[in-house]
Amino acid sequence: MTILGGIGFGAPWLLVALLALPILWLILRAVPPAPIRRRFPGVALLLGLNDKDTVSDRTPWWLILLRIMAVAAIVIGQAQPVLNPENANPDTSGPKLIVLDGTWAGAIGHIRQLQGIEAELARATSAGQPVAILQLTNPKPLVFLPAATVSASLTGLKPNPWQPSEDNITTAISAITLANAASAVWFSDGLAYEGRDKILATLKPIPDLRVLQGTHQIGGLTPATYVDGAINLSVLRANTQDVQDVTILAQGRDPSGNNATLATATAHFKNGEQTATTAMVLPSELRARVTAFEIQGLRAAGAKTLVDDAFKRREVALISGREGREGLELLSPLHYLNQALEPTADLLTGALTDVLPANPDVIVLADVAILSKAETDGLLEWVDTGGMLLRFAGPRIAASDISRTEEDPLMPVRLRRGGRSVGGTMSWGEPKSVAPFAEASPFFGLKVPADVLVSSQVMAQPDPTLADRVIAQLNDGTPLVTRKTIGQGQVVLFHVTANAEWSTLPFSGLFVKMLDRLAVSSSATSPEAADLSGTVWTPLQVMDGFGTMRDAGTLQGVDGPDLIKADTGPNLLPGIYTSGDRVVARNVLSPDAVLNLAEWPNGISVSGYATEPPRPLGGLLLALALVLLLVDVIASLALSGRLLGKAARGTIAMLALGMITLLPPPANAQNADIDRVSELALAHIITGDKNVDEIAIAGLRGLSDTLFFRTSIEPQEPVSVDLETDELAFFPILYWPITPDQPRPSVEAYAKLNAYLRSGGMILFDTRDSNISGFGSASPNGRKLQDIAKLMDISALEPVPADHVLTRAFYLLQDFPGRHNSREVWVEASPVNAEQAEGMPFRNLNDGVTPVVIGGNDWAGAWAITPSGGPMLPVGRGFGGERQRELANRFGVNLVMHVLTGNYKSDQVHVPALLDRLGQ
Amino acid sequence: MNSPVTSATLRARSEGHAARLPPLLARAEQLAGAVLLGDHGRRRSGMGDDFWQYRPAQVGDSRRMIDHRRSAMGDQQFVREREWQIAQSVMLWCDQGASMRFTSNDDLPTKIDRARVLTLSLAILLNRAGERVGLTGTRLPPRRGNAQITQLAEMLSEDQETEYSPPEHRAMIPNAAAMFASDFLGDIAPVKLALTKAADRGVRGVLLQILDPSEEAFPFHGRTIFESVGGMVRHETLKANDLRDRYLTRLAERKADLQRLCTRTGWQYGLHHTEKSAQTGLLWLYQAMNGGARI
Repeated sequence: MTILGGIGFGAPWLLVALLALPILWLILRAVPPAPIRRRFPGVALLLGLNDKDTVSDRTPWWLILLRIMAVAAIVIGQAQPVLNPENANPDTSGPKLIVLDGTWAGAIGHIRQLQGIEAELARATSAGQPVAILQLTNPKPLVFLPAATVSASLTGLKPNPWQPSEDNITTAISAITLANAASAVWFSDGLAYEGRDKILATLKPIPDLRVLQGTHQIGGLTPATYVDGAINLSVLRANTQDVQDVTILAQGRDPSGNNATLATATAHFKNGEQTATTAMVLPSELRARVTAFEIQGLRAAGAKTLVDDAFKRREVALISGREGREGLELLSPLHYLNQALEPTADLLTGALTDVLPANPDVIVLADVAILSKAETDGLLEWVDTGGMLLRFAGPRIAASDISRTEEDPLMPVRLRRGGRSVGGTMSWGEPKSVAPFAEASPFFGLKVPADVLVSSQVMAQPDPTLADRVIAQLNDGTPLVTRKTIGQGQVVLFHVTANAEWSTLPFSGLFVKMLDRLAVSSSATSPEAADLSGTVWTPLQVMDGFGTMRDAGTLQGVDGPDLIKADTGPNLLPGIYTSGDRVVARNVLSPDAVLNLAEWPNGISVSGYATEPPRPLGGLLLALALVLLLVDVIASLALSGRLLGKAARGTIAMLALGMITLLPPPANAQNADIDRVSELALAHIITGDKNVDEIAIAGLRGLSDTLFFRTSIEPQEPVSVDLETDELAFFPILYWPITPDQPRPSVEAYAKLNAYLRSGGMILFDTRDSNISGFGSASPNGRKLQDIAKLMDISALEPVPADHVLTRAFYLLQDFPGRHNSREVWVEASPVNAEQAEGMPFRNLNDGVTPVVIGGNDWAGAWAITPSGGPMLPVGRGFGGERQRELANRFGVNLVMHVLTGNYKSDQVHVPALLDRLGQ
Repeated sequence: MNSPVTSATLRARSEGHAARLPPLLARAEQLAGAVLLGDHGRRRSGMGDDFWQYRPAQVGDSRRMIDHRRSAMGDQQFVREREWQIAQSVMLWCDQGASMRFTSNDDLPTKIDRARVLTLSLAILLNRAGERVGLTGTRLPPRRGNAQITQLAEMLSEDQETEYSPPEHRAMIPNAAAMFASDFLGDIAPVKLALTKAADRGVRGVLLQILDPSEEAFPFHGRTIFESVGGMVRHETLKANDLRDRYLTRLAERKADLQRLCTRTGWQYGLHHTEKSAQTGLLWLYQAMNGGARI
């Protein structure tokens, strides 16, 4: 194949014929057009009139140009031109190394990257090269295998939510050095990182090194901060060219607990800027429900930032026992608490009985000794369900008999009478300082300043349980803070006052940090590494490279400082971490992160992922030539005046009519379709993939026919539904084929879908990939399905149980094949308390059509018929295949029956009783 | 419009056109004793059927001429005189050659169609006015009556094979009136011969040239072979638009020739285009045939 100007030619020598075009020009100029015969009675007068000029009228230049273009198009078309020709290097035969960055930035163009790798593997297969794949974020010793074997393991290649660490790079370099590959292809994610130059230096000696780098925009979100009532978000991008607007979505849960987009904001990049900031102001109720921010349209761990409880403002009720002392502001028992909590918590004040119904997170009782019976009961109940009662001692408690002989239910320990006073004017000794916190204490790791001194305290009675309940103590071993758990809640007692009368503790920063550790307050700024020293955090949910959350399972815990400071890696996945009551989010990007484009030295060929398939242009050019010749015919006729003859006029009218019918139908035909649905019609969701949509509509047509012939359901012509614009309420069932690149529905479309599902509609999801991955995220379709269904109101699912009504709504079926024959089809889980019906092989299940059916058997493919009624796509082989198609049709019949009749068949359990009543 | 011309339809359409005009009194400038009696009162005494006047008998009046019924009323003898009445003979010639069977546009009638309608309309008008109409030549001598009109219509409906048929000039009745309708695009010599012959016999009349609009405009371009309608004559040109001016000059010359010929012989020359209505043509004919009478 010869390549000229980016277009390859299969028969380039034919192009020599183009040289003949000037000759054609001369010939066409010389030959006069054919004469026209005309009847004309005045010819008698013409006799004897000779032409002055012997040269006839010449063909106009534009007509000649038209003809020459037509001939040129034929010549070029015959030369077999191909756009995007395959330019395979013929002489590489040694082992081929495919290097992937494998970072989160690659998740953005992951599918195209995979296609690029597949193309490389296909080339290697045809060249007979063994291939090995090296992922820099997860390097393993290289094993060169035949390309076909490698391509089978491609689905396992997933981007990791971290950048290659030093260890990774060292391992990768040694692997590359050992491999001694003959050619290498580096799929770069487009981001610079430390150590990349080392890899490049190692790869450079390889004779045939190519770099493929995606051209997509890479964006990242740094952790959100909460300042002055607004959530500040800063967006990073790698490419600084152009003006760009980025939409940021605040994801969270709606009041009913479903995932939803709670708010959006737009950040604006100016030309040359790498960072853009925006702010969101949300009411605190809404803010507390936000779980993550993400950049719209970018599915990558770096483009998503998780939110911990930093935005949650806890409700703290402050109640003190001494209300009467007006004017003594600094002596108020609540003054320091107010100061400490006000920035980070919503404070409630009022009587205890008024506050309790508000169900605050924390109730602080400062020197309150006596509680009424109702108050005690109310408090106990509240603590039992997870409330936290924080008590401070004081003169009243010291003077009262509370928890003296018997432990008060709302006190962690028994108290001695009177308390003690040290280091005062009337006592011996020095004021006591606070001992370092023990390892089991929630305060472990906090530094105790030397100037925190305690001069008075209430004393705990020695008890067997006392040692367990102390979480902070003084130098002499007397308890300073004690705690006990009641049900899901806890009671904490500070043995000093909340003001500065008994100690200097409330003055110190330690006081605020202790409150923080007790989760009384939550710090608005992300914690410093030092704050977390000594704590161990266990992951709750972690993110993969796509930014998809999953349960952490049994992943090991992380040290507090590491959680903040260390880079993300296999041992520190981004996600939500918890320690005790506190929750901290770890994100891929740190607040001061910068995204830099990868730069390549001269001499290395960098190109985009070459996925454009070669496209032959021959047919196109020949068609063009035909059109040109047709134009030439019309133009010649017009020139010779015959175009508007009697016969020609009719022809033109016919042609015009033909053109009109060839025109695409008007754009509002869709709505017209929907207006037409006054009767039952099946419908499918438009995916945007033309092929899939065609098969879906043909499949529904086939199913409609089947229903029409076999049952009393007589559906109309099926309809294609656009989620964004069309009303869904008319359709009992929607078929939704999943393609990896269909857009995620808008917020409004989700609202419509959820309303549809709640009002009894059913959606049949079809991943069309035979469930090879069991709905894991390994297949692109499965991942897309998860992505789409995440925001939908779908309850728990289970594989179709053997007694599900789908198995007997019309036909008796036990599996549900389409073009693929996989058993895995999921429906809404049946209630747990369903009982075996007496004398029947199924349980007593009533009511409720499953809102979704999820499978991957490509049912539409099996149902699809051509306009002439024959099957559109092959199913299986021979008779077995036809049997499978028949079963697929039966499944469709059962499905529609199930939607339309509900659990009518399930009511068969009552048949014996009914027969009995009829006296049969 | 191009429905097959049968004598019946031709007559019906001609009567339609003729109905819109008052009876035409053909001009009879010269009356000779040879002309037969007709309905034309000559406003003088002579031979005729209608009473004109009683006059006293004079010397030389034959006794048989005395009207005794009037004379018996007194002593004087009277002679009864009658008005002198004659009928004019009008001879029509309509070109039925192939060149007349032409139209440039489906919406226009062929020239022959228009010529036939005009000729027959005129014949009907004349007949209604009491004149005798016939064709030139010997096939249909002038007569009166509806039967004559029927025969006229039949004969006019015939087509001739000749390309450009010359006017028939034989058997011209002296002092009669005549009307020639044709496109006069063929050789002009027979026309000249016919007119001079007619003038010799004292026949006066009207020459109506009927042309198609394309013959006036010559809207042709490019390499063209022009063929006569019968296909006998052809002329090829490489640039038709170049011929236009010279063709128009020749056409103007032809018209001028005809005009001159008419002036010399005392005839009237008229030009009619098929895109105009037949009514205008008939109106002009009416005035031309009536104009000399100056009644």
